[in-house]
Order: sequence, then structure tokens, then C-alpha cells
Amino acid sequence: MSAIPATTVPGARPLRVALMSFAHVHAAAYASLLQAMPQVELRASDPDSATSPVGERRGQDLADDLGVAYVDSYAELLAWRPDAVIVTSENARHRPLVEAAAQAGAAVLCEKPLATTLDDAFAMQAACDAAGVTLMTAYPVRFSPAFARLRELVTAGGLGTLLAATGTNNGQIPVGDRAWFTDPALSGGGAMVDHIVHVADLLDALTGLTPVTVRAVANRILHGEKPEVRAETGGLVTIGYAGGFIATVDCSWSQPDSAPTWGGLTLQVVGTRGIADIDPFAQHVGGVGPAGAVYLAYGTNTDELLLAEFLHAVRDGRAGQPDGGAGIRSLKIVLAAQESARTGAVVSVR
Amino acid sequence: MSGSFVNLSIGLIGAGGITHVHIPAWLALGARVTVFSLEGSAAVAAHYGVGVADSLDELFDNCDVVDICTPTATHYRIAERALRAGKHVICEKPIALTEADADALAELAAFVGKQLHPAHVVRYFAEYALAQQAVAAGQVGEPAILRFSRIGEFPTWSSWFADAEQSGGIVLDQMIHDLDIARWIAGEVTEVYAVKSAGDGCETAQVVLTHASGALSYVTGVWGAPGTTFATSFSIAGSRGILTHDSRTDASLRFDLGAPPIGTHSMRPDTSLGESPYLTELREFAAAISGGATPRVSLGDATRAVGLAVAAIESIATGRTVSVSRQTVSA
Repeated sequence: MSAIPATTVPGARPLRVALMSFAHVHAAAYASLLQAMPQVELRASDPDSATSPVGERRGQDLADDLGVAYVDSYAELLAWRPDAVIVTSENARHRPLVEAAAQAGAAVLCEKPLATTLDDAFAMQAACDAAGVTLMTAYPVRFSPAFARLRELVTAGGLGTLLAATGTNNGQIPVGDRAWFTDPALSGGGAMVDHIVHVADLLDALTGLTPVTVRAVANRILHGEKPEVRAETGGLVTIGYAGGFIATVDCSWSQPDSAPTWGGLTLQVVGTRGIADIDPFAQHVGGVGPAGAVYLAYGTNTDELLLAEFLHAVRDGRAGQPDGGAGIRSLKIVLAAQESARTGAVVSVR
Repeated sequence: MSGSFVNLSIGLIGAGGITHVHIPAWLALGARVTVFSLEGSAAVAAHYGVGVADSLDELFDNCDVVDICTPTATHYRIAERALRAGKHVICEKPIALTEADADALAELAAFVGKQLHPAHVVRYFAEYALAQQAVAAGQVGEPAILRFSRIGEFPTWSSWFADAEQSGGIVLDQMIHDLDIARWIAGEVTEVYAVKSAGDGCETAQVVLTHASGALSYVTGVWGAPGTTFATSFSIAGSRGILTHDSRTDASLRFDLGAPPIGTHSMRPDTSLGESPYLTELREFAAAISGGATPRVSLGDATRAVGLAVAAIESIATGRTVSVSRQTVSA
């Protein structure tokens, strides 16, 4: 892997971490976690907040809520010479920020999906390679202890030969807090771009197999009453891998608005010696309160583990995982699924 | 309230696994049973204290209704003979190996004026029946994304299951249940895409259905490693809500009995603590034959289920999406 410039290998001094954009809802979560971490100095900028929809709390206001140091422009943020940059802009606006961060010599953690086009994703990877900085894709479910145990079992041959998988990533539709999620121009699509990537990445990490064919169907029956929704809200994606392994992913925004939790992700893996199920967000205390169903989640905070891996990688001057390549491989499946749903064809993965 | 069909005489054909479910149900319903099988009928007859016939013709002479519990590949010819002998017929699923055969049976049944009932028992499991009723009543709004899963060990208790020529493999033998349920709940299907993976005596397939309404269904079946616990689940997401069921968690009774003794098979846990769904099913058929209400599953439904399974098998073979649009559906 590329060498990390000396400026990003600090001694005992705190790590400078910059947060670019508050467009993604995860930005606030990352900020809170980073602030609780030792030896981290955090600054943020969200210049596009000037044109964001009325009612969305962003920019200086959100920084004040979070108690995060704020600057008005990305130029000023990068002039601070951050060691690490986290890009949480709209999906279609990752590229210029990642390129700018790389050129400033900072390691980059980019929110998923890495990009909305392969051209953008390749350009981002190239920019980071040219600058000699690491690029990571924010796939927190990779850090789920349940997934780690599944990986151990599969590696040890406990499931025998892997035959098939069924993945679900069903969530509430992300409207309300951030309107851009349902604007394909900014999000890159609907439920497919939002929810295929996590499962696709887990299968990539678990099997190392190359996806060969993708066939997808989608519809807009869920949330059909919401005029702001301009993309598919439900989809089923079937992936054929080299060697005969098969997988289908339900990527629908099918968690009702009234549900007590955002949704979840499940992965069932079928092998010749057995079947394994993971449900990383299942750990909770359930019940009923005055407002209805109660869901008190207590599972591992995988966002925290993702950030820790990123910062460790920066401190150690090594490449972090999941890297840009993981982001690119899962994006290829999303793009193939979108093409399949659009054309009706079974699409070969490039 | 098993109902009483003391005037009904059943000629049951076959001596395999399902025979041991049907005979107790018939006896509970009060029917008189005679059994015929190429092998094993004497033991079955002795075990249940029912009659035994030495030939199909002798069986037909002793019954009003023929109950076909034989391997799939024999369904068409036996059903044809029974109908031509003037018998009402109850036939295990799948009704035939091809839609054309199923259509031909439907035509013959209409021609001879006899009833032919397909034993799609999953429609009689309370969780599926409830879900279908709830969706029909609009409780989740318009169905959008549906998932159905059926997992068990590879059926090694009889050799014909492993022979795709005889059983149609997992898609036609096992997944046909959920293909039928998906169509029951979300309506007619226009397109089928399917993939399959197999190895070391295991077999699994994944089928995606596009319904005429725009709804999408995912159906998966697993014939897994020896000892795999039988489990079913479904999720039905609609425009106004979602319904889910998982036999692994939504059960009033669970056993943990450890590994089955060597040489035996894992028990299939019966999550329906009330009446056996097989009994409910056979009572509906018996009532219809006796002049009562039409059962919840028709020959047309069974024919369409075969059509969906055959389309899925074609999709697996060709790697392409298969169109299954069909304007008229025989009742």
C-alpha cells in the first residue's frame, strides 16, 4: 500500500480530524463519537448548509449543538492540515471533497455508498493513491461482532462449502431529517443504492467471491403516498457469483414509520454443513410504553469501531479496512442492479 | 369437531411419509379407508386397521374418493385412471410435473364431472391463512415486498426426492408451497427469475416473482445438511404496514431434544398445536365432495403453482427471466 506522508503520522499530539459536510445523518453521530475519543481534535465545515432545505439543522447551528469547532469553508478546514477527513456529504457529492482531502494529504473515510458512479469512485481512489493517503468506505456492519463470529465459523469450515445467502437491509425511509436521500440526483437512487451496499460488502468480505451476474426488480409501492419520494422504495436483487454461490438481497425501505426502531440487517448463509443467521441489530430490550412499542437497543456501536479502525490506521500509517476497493466492488453491484431494474435484463458485473 | 364423513370411502394410494399423515386424518373424520401401494400397503393397513387392496382396480371398486399420496411423477397417470374410473380425486402437491399435464387433468375432471383437489396444505397452516386474510382485508395496505423461506434437511427418507426427473427437485417439490402462497397473497405472477446452488447432498434455490400488481416476492427453499431443523418464515411488507412470522420464534411449544439417534431423521416440529392442518385440509375436500363449500385452494391454483415452479426451473437452466403471463386461469 501507499506510504503515508510524515505529516499524517503524529507523535503524541492529538489527531486532527475534519468532518466535511453535515448532509448525511451519520455526520452528527460520528461527531459525537469522535469527541468522546482521546487525542482527537475535531473541526467541521458544512458550507452547502446555506442552500439546504429549510428546517434541516445543519452548518454552524448543528456544530453548536454538537459542540464542534466550525469553519465556514472547506478551504479553511483543509488549511488546518487535518490528519484525517470524514466525508459525509450527499452521495453524489463525495468526489470533490475526497479529492480535496487527499490533495491536502489527509487520510479519508467516506460515507457509503462510496460514489454514485464508477467514474467518481475510480477518480476518488486514484486521488488518494496519488496523494499516498488511505481511503476507507464507511461500512460499519463489517465491525459487528456477530459478523466477526460468522466469518470465523466460515473460515474454519463450519458451514462446509458455501452455497447461498439471503440478506435483508430494511429500514425506515430516510425522509424528514434530510430530504436529499429521496432525490436521485443527490442520492444516486432510492432503496437500492441505500441498502444493497452493506449486504454486498459483507458477502464480499465473507466469501471473497467475484460477483458475475446481477438481476434486480424494484417498485414504488411502499411510501407511494409521499410526493417527495422520487425513487424506488422496494427491491429484490439476485447476485450470481463465480463458482455458483448465489445471494438475494431485500433492500427495501419496508420498516414502517411507526416502528419503534429504524430497521435492521440480516444475513443468512447456507452451506453444505449448516446454516448461519446473523442479525447484528437484534440485541434489544423490548416492551410497551405509553407511546407504544419500545425498542431499547444495546448492541455494539459499530460506528464507533469503524471510526476507531480509521483513526488507528491513520496513526499506524497503514491502509484501513474496508477500503476504497471494497466501496468500489459493492458499488458495481448497485449499479448493475439499477441497470437490471431499469432494463429488465440480467446484467454482467463489470 | 372433526366432522363426520362416515359415508365417505377413501382409496388411498401410497405408503410413504404423507400416507401416515392422511390416514389418521381420514380416520378422525370418520371416513372408511382402503390403501393400495406397490409396496408396504399391508403394513400400513395393519398399523391403522384399514382395508387393503391388491390392485388399483380393486381399490377403485372399494372407494368413492381416491387420495394420491405417491411420488410426483406418478400423479398424472394415477389421477387420470382414477378420474376415468369415475372417482373424485385428492392429489398431493405438486399435482403434476408440468402445467400441460395439470391442465389435461383439469379438462378430464371437468369432462367426467368429478372433483380433483390439490393438497397444498400450507394454505391450511393458521399462520399463512391468517396472513392471507389480513392482507385481503387491507391490514398492510397494498402488498409491496414479500419474502418466504422454507428450510429443512435434504429428504433422504425416500430416494425419489433426489431424482429431479421424479420430484422436480427442490423448486417443484418444496418451494411450490411458497410459490402458491405468494400468488395467493399478492396475486397473479407475470415474471419469474430463479437461481439454484447445490453440493454435497444439499440443494437451495432462490426465486423472485413479479406480480401483476407490481408487488415482488422472494421465495427461498433449502434442503440442507442432515439434521437441519425444519423452519419456515415470511414477511409481507405493504404500503400501510408489515406482517411477519418465523416458526423458530413464534411458537407456543418448543423442544430441544439434542441430536436425533443415529439412523433417524430430525423431527419436524408441529407449531400448530390445534388441529392438524392436514385434517383441516382433508375435511374441506371431503365437505366439497359431499356437496359443501368450495375449498380455499383450487385445481387452477395448483396448476398455476406448477407453472411458477416450472418457470423457475427454466429460469435456473437459462439464466433468464421467464414470462408467465397467462390470461385465463382454470378454476
